[in-house]
This record gives sequence, C-alpha cells and structure tokens, in this order.
Amino acid sequence: MKSFVSLARSHRDGLVALALFTAAFAVLFATQAPVGFVRDESVYFAAAESYARWFQLLFRDPSNALTDGAIVRAFDFNHEHPALMKILFGLSYLLFHEGLGLLKPAAAFRVPAFAVAALIPALIYLLSASLYDRRVGIWGAISFLLVPRQFFNSHLACFDVPIAAMWLLTVYMFWRAQEKSRGWLWCGLAFGLALATKHNGWFLPWVITPFALWRGWWLTRSSPAGREALYQIVGLFAGVGAQFLVLFASLGPQRFVEKIAPLSPATALAAALVAGSVWLLRRLARASEPAFRALSPLVAMALIGPAIFYLHWPYLWHHPIDRAAWYFEFHATHNHYAWFYLGKVLRAPPFPLEYVVVKTALTVPSSIFVPMALGLGAVVLRGALSLWPKLGSSVERPRFGEVLTAVNAIVPILIISHPDVPHFGGVKHWFAAMPFLAVLGGRSVCRAADFLSATLRARWSALHGWATAGPLIALTCAPALIATARVHPYGTSYYSELAGGLPGAATLGMQRQFWSNNVTAVLPWINDHAPPGTRLWLHEVNGFSFRDYQRNGMLRRDLQPAGGPEDAQMAAYQYHQEFREHEMNIWQSFGTRTPVTGLYLDETPQVIVYRRR
Amino acid sequence: MVAVAALLFHWSLPSRLPTEEQYRSVSAILGTEARPGDAVLLYPWWTERVRLFAPPSVSVVGYLGSDRDPLTSFSRIWVLAQPNLPRSDVNAFQRDFLPGRSRLGEPRAFGNLELALYRNELYRPAVFSSVSAVASARVYIETPGAARVECPYDGSAHRCPGSERLRVAAEWHELTFQPRYCLWMRPPGGTRRLVTEFRDLPVGERLVLEAGIVGEYATRTDPSLTTTRVGVADAATGNEILGVSIPRGIEGVRRAERSGSSLPPVVGAKLWIQSDNPTMRDTCVELTSDRAPGGSG
Repeated sequence: MKSFVSLARSHRDGLVALALFTAAFAVLFATQAPVGFVRDESVYFAAAESYARWFQLLFRDPSNALTDGAIVRAFDFNHEHPALMKILFGLSYLLFHEGLGLLKPAAAFRVPAFAVAALIPALIYLLSASLYDRRVGIWGAISFLLVPRQFFNSHLACFDVPIAAMWLLTVYMFWRAQEKSRGWLWCGLAFGLALATKHNGWFLPWVITPFALWRGWWLTRSSPAGREALYQIVGLFAGVGAQFLVLFASLGPQRFVEKIAPLSPATALAAALVAGSVWLLRRLARASEPAFRALSPLVAMALIGPAIFYLHWPYLWHHPIDRAAWYFEFHATHNHYAWFYLGKVLRAPPFPLEYVVVKTALTVPSSIFVPMALGLGAVVLRGALSLWPKLGSSVERPRFGEVLTAVNAIVPILIISHPDVPHFGGVKHWFAAMPFLAVLGGRSVCRAADFLSATLRARWSALHGWATAGPLIALTCAPALIATARVHPYGTSYYSELAGGLPGAATLGMQRQFWSNNVTAVLPWINDHAPPGTRLWLHEVNGFSFRDYQRNGMLRRDLQPAGGPEDAQMAAYQYHQEFREHEMNIWQSFGTRTPVTGLYLDETPQVIVYRRR
Repeated sequence: MVAVAALLFHWSLPSRLPTEEQYRSVSAILGTEARPGDAVLLYPWWTERVRLFAPPSVSVVGYLGSDRDPLTSFSRIWVLAQPNLPRSDVNAFQRDFLPGRSRLGEPRAFGNLELALYRNELYRPAVFSSVSAVASARVYIETPGAARVECPYDGSAHRCPGSERLRVAAEWHELTFQPRYCLWMRPPGGTRRLVTEFRDLPVGERLVLEAGIVGEYATRTDPSLTTTRVGVADAATGNEILGVSIPRGIEGVRRAERSGSSLPPVVGAKLWIQSDNPTMRDTCVELTSDRAPGGSG
C-alpha cells in the first residue's frame, strides 16, 4: 500500500536535492557581484556587523556581553526585525572577510542568504517528488530561481527570500512529520527558525492548524480514546487561549504587558499549557500513533517556536515582553509607501483587492505563471467538483498534500491582498507563496508531458517519461532564463511577456523599480567622469549604501555624499513616479534638463545622471 | 503555446528598440529643422532617452498625461513616436493628440523612431508671463495693519527675511507628474500674504492664473494643513481680478481665467498667496496673458 506521504527518501532524491542546493548556491554566488545594495540591505549589513561585534565581546568578556546595556548597544539597531539572519550575515562577515580575507564585505555578508535561498529549490524538489514525481520537482526547483525578481532577491542579505525558505521548510517538516515519529521536533524547530527570520512566520500556525486538526480528527474516527485525547488537547489550547484573551481584555494592552512576570497568572497559564500538552500528547500517542503525528507538530510549533524566537534574539533576554510587544506593534502599524500601479500612485489604503494577483501575473515570466495558475486552478476545481455529489466519484479528490500545497500557495497572497495591508515592495512580500505555486506549476507541465507521451506512444511505444517532460521543461523555462539573463542585476525592474516586458509595463503605468540598487549601472560612468572630490547625490541611495559602494570598490572613495541636488555637483536620479519633483529639483539646481548618461532598460528610464553646469 | 509566444517575444524585442544611431539621426534633423521654441512630444510619454541626444534648443515634453497637453506655448510640435514598442498604440495617442493639430509634411522613420512635425493650432502667443517678468517684479510680505517686509532680488530669487523657503523665483517644479516652469511661492503663514507685484502687466485676449501644491505635498490630507489661497488684484485699486483656492489633498493645477470684455483695464497687478498654516504648502504659480489661437505656424 502506498504510504500516506509517500516521501521521496531514496538516496537518489537526496542527491538530486543536494545537487540543486549546490547549483543554486553556486549560481547565486557567481552572479552576486553586480547586484546593488538595496536600501534595507545596507541597514542589515550595519546591523549584522554590530551583532557580530557582540559575539566577539561574548567570547572575550561574557559577563559584560550578557548585560542588558551591552546587548542593547549591539542589538538596538534595527530591532524591528528578529536577529537570526543578521547574526548569520554578521558571523559570515567575520569569517569570510575579516578572518579569512576571502571575500569583499558585501559578498561575505550575503553568503548565508545564498545558502538559505538555495534551500528552496532543494525543498521544492523534495516536496514535489514526494507529492507527485521527480519531473515536477525539477521544474519547480528550476522555475523558482528563473523568476527574475526571485532570482534577484535571492542574492540579498535581506529576509524576504529567507522567510519564504523557512515557511516552505516548516510546511515540508509538517508534511514529513505525518510519517516520522519524531517529525514533530523538526517541525517545531523549523517554525522557530521562521519566527526568528521575519514576522510572516507568525501566520504559519493559521495555515497548518486546520490541517493538523482535520487529520487528527479523521485518524481518530475509530479510536474513542484517541478522539478524547484530541478533544482534550484542543480544549486545553482553547481554554488557555480564552483565559489569555480575558486577561488581555480586562487589563488592556499596556497593563497586560506590564503584568507578565515570572510569577504571574500569564506565566502560570503558559506553564499549564506546556505541561498539559505534553501529558495529553503522550495519551494521544498511546491511543493513536498516526493522530499523534498529526497533532504533535502543531504542539511543537506552539511550544518550541516562541522559545526559539526568544532564545535566538538577545535583545529580548532582559525585557522579553515589552520589547516583543513593541515588535508586534511596529508591524501592525507599518507605514505605507507610495507605489505606482496601473497609472495611479497608491499612497494609502484601501488598496485594490486584485493588486497582488495582477502584479504576480505581470512579474512572473508567462511560461511559468500560466502553469502555476493552471496547477492551482486544477486543485481548486477538483476540490470544488469533488464536493458535488453527482460528480464526486468521477473527479479525483485532491489529496491532503495537494490541498496543503494549494492553501500555502494562496494564503500569503491573501494576506497581502487585504486592502489595508501595505502594498509597497514589489512582489517580495508574498514570496512565501511562490515555492508552492512552483510545485503546482510543475504538476501542470508534467501533466501536459504525460498527455503528449500518451499521444506519442501510439507511434513510439517505448517512449520514456522524460522524453516529453525534458523538452517541455526546457521550453517553458527557456523564456524565463532569457529574461533573467537580460534583466540581471536589475531584478526589481522586470516585467513579464504578458505585461509587454519593461516597455509594456511602463506604458501600463507600473512601478519601474524600487529599492535603489539599479544605481550600480551608472557607478562606472561616475567613477570615470567625476572630478576628484565631487559631491555626488545618489537619489534614494541611503548613507549606508553609499558607504558600502565605496567599501566594496564600486564607487571611488574620494567622492563625497551630497544631501540633495542643492549641494551636489553630480546627481543620479532614480525614476519613481512619486519622486518626479526630485528630478525637477536637479534641473533647477544644476541649470540643465539634459542628462549626461543613464540606465535605460529596454528604453525605460531607470537611473538618470546629471552634471552641474 | 505560451512558452513559444514568450520565446518569440524575447527574440523580437531587441529589434523593436531604437539604437543610439537612430537617436542621433533624429537629433540631426531636429538640430537643422527645429526652430527655437519648438517642442518634441514623446510617444509613449516615458521614452525620455532622447533627452540625451536632443538639441538643447527644443523642449522635450513627456510625462504621464502629456498626450493631452494642449502645449499652448508651442506653435510647432515634433512628435517622436516609438510605434513598435510593446503596448504602443499610436491610434489611441492620435485620438488624444490630433484635435487642434495639423501635420506639416510626411512622418520620417529612423528605424524604430518615427518623427512627424505638426502645427499646433492651440498655440496662444504669450503677451505676459509672470515667470519671464519676475526679475523686475517687487516682492514683499504684506501683514494687515503693519509695514511691508521687502524681499530683495539677488539675481536668482526674491528672498524674504527668515526661512530660505520664503522666496519668489522662477523654478522647475512638479504638479501631478507635469514639469512646470513657474513661480515658487510659499505662503508666510497666518493672515500674512506673500505678494509679487508687477508694475506693467500687458493684457492680451485673456488673463490666466494657475497654481498647485508642489510634488507629494499636494496629496497630504493631515487635518493641520490649511487651504492655500492665490489671487491676483489690481495694484492700483486693490480689486480682486482672479483667485483660486487649493484645499488640502487637492493635486494638480487649479485654474482661473478672465477673457474678452470681462477683463478690466489693468496696469499693474499684485499676485499674492496666503495660507494660515504654511507647512507643506509650497506652491507653483503662473500668471499669464496671451492672445487667441490662430497665430503663426
């Protein structure tokens, strides 16, 4: 009998996954040099360096390092994001740049980002191969990095691709845990890493809980003792949750936070939850091992996840509650930034409901987007039709893993689609959906290959499954490969064939670029033409990035950063629809409207350089 | 099918883009045939790369919405189109552009660039422009019941005491994506007015006042922001001739005009601005007078 998960566990699959990881890492490393430092990345570089210095202090003078003062000095900078990735970036910098002297600072910071990004193709392969077959895995793995915006972001020492990796890892571990008796532990650990990467991780329980509960309920249908333990676990969590809500409602947010102490009702409730969960899970395991495997990852996420979140982030050690509360408050009330969309500058909510879907359709290469949409649509349609009594028997009901994949392909998109959620940042805020869409896209391509094989077998009976899948995978990935190669390293500017490429998107009135990294295109010209000591205004490039371009040998060190066109002799303006006034300020200050050079990608103005008359 | 279409797209795209050589050919034509004061209108509006090559004597116009700009200060318009770009729709452009224009000669193609010259029948010869006359104007802050505070001209701007932003000068600024060369005027705050007084104001067929809040500030709706009032008064009598008000959150240009027999005989005019709270009320103001269309081509 085919096992429920039917995991790809063969030695060969492990090797393929390893090969995909290695290849992805190598490609990212080989193509990183021209990738500019996006606004946030240089801030993370600085934070990473600060955190790394704290680790040096920890080894040198641990008692001092562990004081709140020393921790705050190191970790207060950029405490709006958890520390995991920044710690990795910083340690990598210490090792590869300062220690071994092998890499320039930026490359050294980025090495962990490449490694985490490279996990995605490997995990897509493993999930696809276990859910469908290896061909699906190959298409999904390759196609993920051939989406130019994903390829670009995979280079960055930022958190958008890492959280996509951690989200995928958590879901994959939950999936594996259905067959592995100790899978719960890995699921809990993966969830903890997700929480330690970016706040998106806190949405994961909402996605996984329905699956765990449904499966636990289904598996205990013939085990009254198991069902009873299941209900008790649910009751325990619901009861503790309700009491927390009562405390929160009665005290108010401020006092609720203040009242949490080692000896407080909240701590007692948390302790009761831990002890009760462990005890009840043991009962469930005795009654129904499969149901235990369904529920235990969820409990592990609830207990291990927050523990890792706390332990990995020294900033929380002395003041866990109020600093965590600040963190949640910051993200719940995040600013809105202007964003150009279909000829309108979006500045404040409500944002268009269809924004995420339209933006995805216009920024994922069409030969990848269409299979993804078809794959997702097929699962949804099969699910809907199988509920129809008359059709139920003739339609293949989506399997547990397929539904899990489809839901994870949809939820990150739904979260950002809410009209009140900030909509800036291109597509990176719903990257967590893309690996799952890649799995479903691979399924579409392979179904087409199977259909083709079946047709051709009438003539060539010995046709191998790869004989049609191979060319089809190559054909669907080729346009994306060309697009990625053409647009690199300006990934945030990419638009798909459906948009009409970059020129079509400019005519549609879409955001041309963001995050300032495209400035790298004009730095060589500036280096060649700027007189010594020139005051240079790099519009949208923050002071950290200016310093990093100089530090990494991309910008001459004698050039001085200017605060604006008024005190600059040379300026590089980044075309943003909401920043048109800035270019006119250059015209005014410099006494000319004629640029001296620029970056025009497929004719679209991206970065325009002016020199004072 | 999709993949094949996508491959074809990528295969054909480079051949749909203009080369530097093609731009230089266009520039050569403009250099020899364009008259001072001609405009080059871009289609699609964003194809600004030609700025690198165009002779400085011609104004290159291309902004979101420029297809419908009457370009009343230009008697001739060169349309530089890129009809082969993806999503280019020349017919749609012409529906917006052609009314009030007649083509002079046949369009010329330079690879993927197409250049055509039009007579602009919407052209209105200027009689007066506040931007041109600002150097000779007198600028001061007027406070009810108090002495005027003069803002002397330093060769580039009339600067008032206090904030650097309290000045009147001809400058480039953005009003809802449109670059405009206009008078920068910022209200001094309270009931005070910043006044630019023109001693001679020749009046043609009509007198037009246009004003708008500069850049992103126009979009702000903070309750603390106050309505900005811009007006034109007869310098001799103090009678109000034109006025616009710009409430917070209003983007673009607010416009008022008087023409024909409704125009009073004006010798000198006071162009003023006031807003109780001057924060983020940087304003781009133009006062112009022109003749009726039908001028030279």
